[in-house]
Amino acid sequence: MIVPMSHILAFSAALFVMGLACVLAQRNLIMILIGVEIMLNAVGLTLVGASALWQKVDGQIFVIFLMAMTSAEVSISLAMVVYLRRRKGTLEADAFDGMKG
Amino acid sequence: MSAGLLFLILAFPLLGALGNLLLGELLLRRVRAAVAVAAVAASALTCLLLWPLAAGEGTRATLFTWLESGTFQVSVDILFDPLSASMTLMVTLVSTLIHLYAAGYMEDEVDTTRFFVLLNLFVFAMLCIVLADNLLLLFLGWEGVGFCSYALIGFWYAEEKNAAAGRKAFLVTRVGDVFFGIALLWLFALCGTLSISAINAQASLLGSGTLLALTLLLLGGACGKSAQLPLMTWLPDAMAGPTPVSALIHAATMVTAGVYLLCRLFPLVSLSPTGMMAIAAVGALSALYAASCALAQREIKRVLAFSTMSQVGFMMLAVGAGAVSAAMFHLFTHAFFKALLFMAAGCVIHLTGGENDITRMGGLRKQSPFVFWLFLAGALCLAGAPLTGGFFSKDEILLADFARATLFYRGIWLLGTCTALLTAIYTFRLVYMVFAGEPRSHFHGHALPGPMRWTLPPLALLALGGGLLNLPPLYGGKEHLHQFLGPLAGTRIHASHAVEWALAVLAVALFFLGWALVHWRHRRAAPEPVGALPAFLLSGWRADRLVERGILRPFQVLAGWCWQWGDGRLIDGTLEGAGRLCLSGGERLRRLATGRLSTYLTALAWGLVVMLGYFAWRIL
Amino acid sequence: MTEFTHIPWLSILIFLPLAGALLCLVLWRREELCRWLALAVSWGVFVLTAGLFAAFRAGGSGWLLYEDHAWIERLGVRYILGLDGMSLLLVLLSGFLMLVAVLVSWRVRRHTGFFFALLLLMEAGILGVFLALDLVLFYLFWELMLIPMFFLIGVWGHERRIYAAIKFFLFTLAGSLLMLLAIIGLHLLHTAAGGAPSFALDNLRGLELSPSLEAWLYAAFLLAFLVKVPLVPVHTWLPDAHTEAPTAGSVILAGLLLKTGVYGLLRFGFPLFPNAAAASLPWLALLALIGIFHAAWIAYLQPDAKRLVAYSSVAHMGFVVLGLAAWNQTAVEGSILQMVNHGLTTGALFALVGMIDERAHTRRIDELGGLWGKVPRLSFFFLFFSLASLGLPGLNNFAGEILILIGAFQTNPVWGATAFAGVVFAAAYMLRLVQGVLWGAARGALFWPDLEPREGAVLVVLALLVLWLGLYPAPFLAPLREPVADLLNVLPQGGLP
Repeated sequence: MIVPMSHILAFSAALFVMGLACVLAQRNLIMILIGVEIMLNAVGLTLVGASALWQKVDGQIFVIFLMAMTSAEVSISLAMVVYLRRRKGTLEADAFDGMKG
Repeated sequence: MSAGLLFLILAFPLLGALGNLLLGELLLRRVRAAVAVAAVAASALTCLLLWPLAAGEGTRATLFTWLESGTFQVSVDILFDPLSASMTLMVTLVSTLIHLYAAGYMEDEVDTTRFFVLLNLFVFAMLCIVLADNLLLLFLGWEGVGFCSYALIGFWYAEEKNAAAGRKAFLVTRVGDVFFGIALLWLFALCGTLSISAINAQASLLGSGTLLALTLLLLGGACGKSAQLPLMTWLPDAMAGPTPVSALIHAATMVTAGVYLLCRLFPLVSLSPTGMMAIAAVGALSALYAASCALAQREIKRVLAFSTMSQVGFMMLAVGAGAVSAAMFHLFTHAFFKALLFMAAGCVIHLTGGENDITRMGGLRKQSPFVFWLFLAGALCLAGAPLTGGFFSKDEILLADFARATLFYRGIWLLGTCTALLTAIYTFRLVYMVFAGEPRSHFHGHALPGPMRWTLPPLALLALGGGLLNLPPLYGGKEHLHQFLGPLAGTRIHASHAVEWALAVLAVALFFLGWALVHWRHRRAAPEPVGALPAFLLSGWRADRLVERGILRPFQVLAGWCWQWGDGRLIDGTLEGAGRLCLSGGERLRRLATGRLSTYLTALAWGLVVMLGYFAWRIL
Repeated sequence: MTEFTHIPWLSILIFLPLAGALLCLVLWRREELCRWLALAVSWGVFVLTAGLFAAFRAGGSGWLLYEDHAWIERLGVRYILGLDGMSLLLVLLSGFLMLVAVLVSWRVRRHTGFFFALLLLMEAGILGVFLALDLVLFYLFWELMLIPMFFLIGVWGHERRIYAAIKFFLFTLAGSLLMLLAIIGLHLLHTAAGGAPSFALDNLRGLELSPSLEAWLYAAFLLAFLVKVPLVPVHTWLPDAHTEAPTAGSVILAGLLLKTGVYGLLRFGFPLFPNAAAASLPWLALLALIGIFHAAWIAYLQPDAKRLVAYSSVAHMGFVVLGLAAWNQTAVEGSILQMVNHGLTTGALFALVGMIDERAHTRRIDELGGLWGKVPRLSFFFLFFSLASLGLPGLNNFAGEILILIGAFQTNPVWGATAFAGVVFAAAYMLRLVQGVLWGAARGALFWPDLEPREGAVLVVLALLVLWLGLYPAPFLAPLREPVADLLNVLPQGGLP
């Protein structure tokens, strides 16, 4: 391996924390979604790295699954974002509390 | 003669009741009454025809096995021995006369079907008590008469008061029944059988403490049915029923069932001297109590009710003194003269158009000499006029007491003698107030229907001549009843002729003293005394209030407490509390779900931190 | 005779009402048809049970009829049904009271088809409970009774029906879920002890259990059964459920559902856990005695006639449990007989209160009164069954009570004597009911119809049975003799006080 595993892990961890920070700090639904995507990519990166480390193809298969799933997720969530925006005229996450107990 | 025929005595009244119950509404009124009378008369006739079966040990007959389970076996079997035979004859004879009387008395009533069904059913149940050879069948009759009495006291149910009086009678007697019932359970546990003959035969094997307890339990049962202290409060109220009912149930037959029970189980009861003393004491105190109450009563039937209680007290006294034959003798004469008095009182009420209050009556002697003479015949017997039936029987009881020369029985004798004086006084007070002088108010009376007239003279003859049943040797008699009862007659009385004469003279003197006192008061036209004492006596020594305060109200409070606190707060409260706890817990948890994305995400992050922290801690 | 016993009578008995229920559901649009169908099915079941009773009236020890088929092989669950003298009597009672229940609900107008479907479904459940000998099958039927009753109360009940239905459901479910746990526990213990996996009663009996484990498992069974009986202090669902249920529901609740509790104890509770059961008897007696008085006192104060009868049920079931606790031949026979008696008299009283309610549109005692003048025939039966209920000798309740009392007195004189005092209170509340409903001045001048033929027929038959059981209960005691004698051997001797 050209890039040492520890670098990959550190990089993906940093990426994950950045995504998490984005999810936690941002209030706009779209920004939160972007944060989620970043976190997912961080995980994907780890999988690819691990696959290269152990010379096994499983990790890459997982990543392909992950990509497919992510695209599905994004398409649904963006559709919902459009819908929510139409309903309330805002994308502020805290404005949507219909699940309040 | 087959022993099975004995069941006919029971069957006739039952058939009469069933017939009227099923077909009564279809029949003419007269036919209905005729069926009822015929049923009882047939029973009396059967009893007479089968009389020879009673001789000696008597005859036993079994119909079928009623209950059978494990060692417990009870069959419907009856015993026709001298004691039960004589009682049966008395019950059926008096019942026939009273049924006839009732046919006249109820002429204008509606719903006579119910009346005659219940009356016939009553006779059936009473005969069950009398003839039963096992305690469970006796108990069937015992409760059966209780029910009939309940339903007949409340015959005019439209008035709440009458039905309440019936309910009171049932409940108070049932308190007594509990004692009887416990005695029954205990006797079975001890003897392994409920047959009366077998129990009497085995009684001598039981310990003295057990015998005392059993005697007291049986006494408790007898007190309920016979309206003795302390279960006496129901009898005066029971007068709310129609007069024939009072005559039949609350004078002649049912109230003497308690005495009969003790006589029936006399071999057992007599083994406990303390128990016998308790019986005598209860009898004497009840007699005195009731006689004192009778002095102040204002309603004709209540006077008679208290006098019944008092006379039954005399019978208990006799049983307590060991003189079964004297008790039965008084039971018979009392049945005759008290039935006569009640029926004559019914005539009086009829003549005065439903008036019950003796302070508003008077002068009826002129209006209806017929009723007067018959009532007087009964009254003389009750007061113990020399040579009437009541005189001999009462005298024999007091003699039996006196002959037991212990201090206790002498004291009881003294109470009994005082009661005899009071009896004479209240009886003559009643006679004078109802019949003597001028009418105190104007009445719209009814004419007496035929059956109400005919039935009185035979009873009067029986009452006046009742002494011949058991005329003591002192007067040249042969003590027929005592001889007939044979081994069942209880302890023999040993008294010298001098004592007998002395007591007889005393009784005569008391009778005349009582009469003289009343006569004197009447001549002076003294007003009815007023004040605390008469009011106290009128209310029956405030027994009702005592029961109300001491038992009924605490019971209601306790029951209410059980309901509101026990079931309501404690049980349902606990469970509903548990339910509420779940709900409020959910309510608390609900607040965590704000519905905001940011909260959830923060929680997620914190969860991540905690998990990572945990792993870090595990590794380090 | 062998030909006769080869026919699976017991399965027919259970599946006949089940099929009837399904048909009713399918035909729910045709109400008149459903009604007659229910009548026909319940009549058929009754004839069948009566036939079984006639065939086996002599009783005998062991199973009179027995069916055993594999069902869920993997878990060892089997389809076992058995009939002995004890269940014979209760099955007969079920067949009869179900017929009564169908007849008294002739005037149900809402969702008639579903009503009768539920009634028949419940009949299947109750018969199943009385016949099942496999614990899983038993549990299935046990819950099958519960659900139709929940809907009967909740849909066709009176004003507070939802509260009553949920209370009933929660009480019984809490008990029966614990029982389910105990059943599974018992099964696992049996397997762990090296037995083939099984839920059959006969296999699980005689399992060696440590005392504390036995006590816990028994307690779970006991709770389930005592809630159904019901015994103080788990009885408070009953007054609500009885009062709010429709007439047929009350008849079945009082007449049959309560009996399943006692039956369960006798059939499963005691044989499965003999040592714990023997130790529990004095406590059962204590609770039963408390129940007799507590319920009687409360009954005395009830303003609602139906509630009063409901509380009287609790008091009567106290007598039944006392008989069990006394645990001798006389007392246990008395208990089982008393269950039949109580089913008949209380069922009749509920039916009568229902009939009065249909006419007066009230059940409050202070709003009724003077009925004797208005509807003498109905009043006559009301008085008759009230007398039976307060234990007048010669009528049925007395026969059962005296057996229980005699037996209880032999075991422990204090029990017998105390329980006897209960009859005063029975008289007190019953006479208060009679006084309030029948006597007094008639209220309201409206004309009321007296009994119609359908009602009259039901009551006459019930009254004749009451007399029969009161005067000559021997035919009903005969099949009990041997099963009870066998049962008495189940508990270790000396477990009694």
